[in-house]
Amino acid sequence: MGVRALTQEWMDAYKAAIQADPEYKDIAKNWEGSVALVVLPDPAKGIPETVYLFQDYWHGDVGEFVVCDKDKAESAKFVMTGEYARWKQIARKELDATKALLQGKLKMKGDLPYVVRNIKTVNKVIDILGAFETIWPDEV
Amino acid sequence: MATGYAGKFLLVNLTDGSCTDFTIADSELQKYIGGSCLAAKMYLDRYPLDTDPLSPENPLMIMTGPMVGSGFPGTSRFTICTKAPQTGIWGESACGGTFGPELKRAGYDGIVLEGQSPEPVCLAILDGQATLEDASALWGTDIYEATDLLKAEDKSRKVLAIGPAGENLSRIAAIGNDKGHFSGRTGLGAVMGAKKLKAIVVKGTLKTGKADENRYKEVLKTAIAEVKGSALAEGLHMMGSDANMDLGMVTGDVPIKNWTVGEDFDLSFNLSGPTMREKYLTKAHACANCPVACKRVVKVDDGPYRTDEGPGPEYETCGTFGTMLMNSDLAAVIKANELCNRYGLDTISCGSAIALAMELFEKGTLTTDQVDGLDLTWGNMGAVMPLIRKIAYREGFGDILADGAVHAARKIGGDAMDCVVHVKGLEAPMHDPRAFHGMGLAYMMSNRGACHLQHAVLATEQGMASWPQLFDMKDDYTGTTSVDKAALVYNSENYGILGNSLAICHYLVDILKPETILEAFNAITGFNLTSDELLEAGMRDWTLKRGFNNLLGITAKDDVLPKRLLTALKEGGGAGSVPDVALLLSEYYAIRGLDERGFPRKEKLTELGLDELKDRLYR
Ligand code: SF4
Repeated sequence: MGVRALTQEWMDAYKAAIQADPEYKDIAKNWEGSVALVVLPDPAKGIPETVYLFQDYWHGDVGEFVVCDKDKAESAKFVMTGEYARWKQIARKELDATKALLQGKLKMKGDLPYVVRNIKTVNKVIDILGAFETIWPDEV
Repeated sequence: MATGYAGKFLLVNLTDGSCTDFTIADSELQKYIGGSCLAAKMYLDRYPLDTDPLSPENPLMIMTGPMVGSGFPGTSRFTICTKAPQTGIWGESACGGTFGPELKRAGYDGIVLEGQSPEPVCLAILDGQATLEDASALWGTDIYEATDLLKAEDKSRKVLAIGPAGENLSRIAAIGNDKGHFSGRTGLGAVMGAKKLKAIVVKGTLKTGKADENRYKEVLKTAIAEVKGSALAEGLHMMGSDANMDLGMVTGDVPIKNWTVGEDFDLSFNLSGPTMREKYLTKAHACANCPVACKRVVKVDDGPYRTDEGPGPEYETCGTFGTMLMNSDLAAVIKANELCNRYGLDTISCGSAIALAMELFEKGTLTTDQVDGLDLTWGNMGAVMPLIRKIAYREGFGDILADGAVHAARKIGGDAMDCVVHVKGLEAPMHDPRAFHGMGLAYMMSNRGACHLQHAVLATEQGMASWPQLFDMKDDYTGTTSVDKAALVYNSENYGILGNSLAICHYLVDILKPETILEAFNAITGFNLTSDELLEAGMRDWTLKRGFNNLLGITAKDDVLPKRLLTALKEGGGAGSVPDVALLLSEYYAIRGLDERGFPRKEKLTELGLDELKDRLYR
């Protein structure tokens, strides 16, 4: 039984999967700072309004992982924004997140060289997204 | 006259010192556009192919395109074309900087250099007036010195010059524009050296027109907005092309230890774009009219590799003088880059030749005595610096490496050639086809030899660009498969090759939408091509150069990858994977319309309006 994507339950499952990953701590040992994922509305697909997700990462540990409001999301060190369909493609590994960023399918606010330098951490976190079963709103 | 063009070309006969203008019919310009495509057509029409590249009979063509000088982002380019000294086949090398737009302002779309001067000369083209001047005093200077001397009178002049490597006919000699921009590949500097042409200086005030100024102004706004919204443009501005070092180490793109190791994150950390930014960058720099500004200006303040402030290395150079040599000292890469710039050496070929020497030194094939007492242990950059000089001046062991890795391996003998990664005589750039099989096919089919800039495969296969509006494309390609790659490579060639005809930077080809570039091209020229016609122009471009090479004896047997790229790596993004050459080639040959010999089929040549080439190929 999976958890419904983009809910607090899903964020909890995501956090637990990251904490349980045997490689994550070491790969992410240099990463400092929070990341917000912003999912743009797509009513036809079950996303009536923008969803804001806040995730706190610190040197291999994970802190706050919450569904949040716009202000909190925008306070994150990195803010990644994209359409629902893109996020779903990324979570399902149908679209690499770096490629999505370079092609303009995701937009990022934040220190790009930092992300490039820590690209292994970014890839790992996205890889873990596929580690637990997700129910997507447009597939309910 | 077609708009966007200066309307005339300059023919310089260096043997008798004459300078004459000539024109090309609008119908030919519309068909072959400009840059390297028009150069290939001119070469085929006017010159014999069976010449020694360093003989007076081999012309050197310096070509712009219709968009150059328009002010549109990325249109600072010019392409230098000839029969290449390094490979003996079609040779071209594009360059950004300042020379292209200034040549247009000086009144010319291109320069064709024939013959050979008895004494060193400099060609000056000032506001439509071309003269040859004595350059005996400049002969022997390096590119930085020559450029400074030629600008002493007037800093606004733009300079194209060779250094000692070109003068000494090194087949890996580059040509430098204003110190920071280089036509590096295939040894074009040696052709200038053989012609005793030290430099070209240009300056002018001509403004080329646009077919529709208002339409152009609109599309310029669109282009600027696309650059502003592009993460690729932002990354290039902040980290230069060396942004690829970190990303490529994860994907398996970066060659290490002469292509024998699959990953090394300590190396990439120390050599990366972010590291250069933190430790050595003084400012970002741009080619003329480019809002991206990906070029690096760097300075090493102290230590054995101290440099003055000057042009910094690109990703390719951080590969060839960094990961390829097992050198993790970025300051040493910056110094090696400066030396290659000054001497006028292509950094990819020079670094690759040194990597070969280091591998053979480790194996014992080369002894300390044979390499002039240098300790060519991996990573020993203290030995690399004097070796670069020896290469440029053809001194001692440097003479063995002075024509690049392939010529060096032939001279050294034994199994040295097994250690060289090249296609058709040109060392591969720093992108590993074991991690990206499409790039392997692109290397095999590129008309100047292994190359990442005759097509857009690097961008499409690695996901930097996606153009479903132009041709059938998936959202995401897996690098380590050969399935579905032939069509991707074919289409990415047909579009990407146009960068060197339109004369627009390949990064802008990746950053801007194809419809934006086409709209700008049409607004400038008035040709009003459709996107299908644009792609057809790309097909014609590729096929023309392939025919040039076929006439020189290139056949299917030359469309191969070297042994090393068909040996899987144990670690990294490309671990355990090698391109399926048979699958890639069979699918590609069918789509490209090549017969089993590797010749374009008659019907393909007719379809592309290349009947004269057909008659020569099927005589
Ligand atoms: S992107 Fe870089 S190489 Fe291309 S035109 Fe701009 S500054 Fe020059």
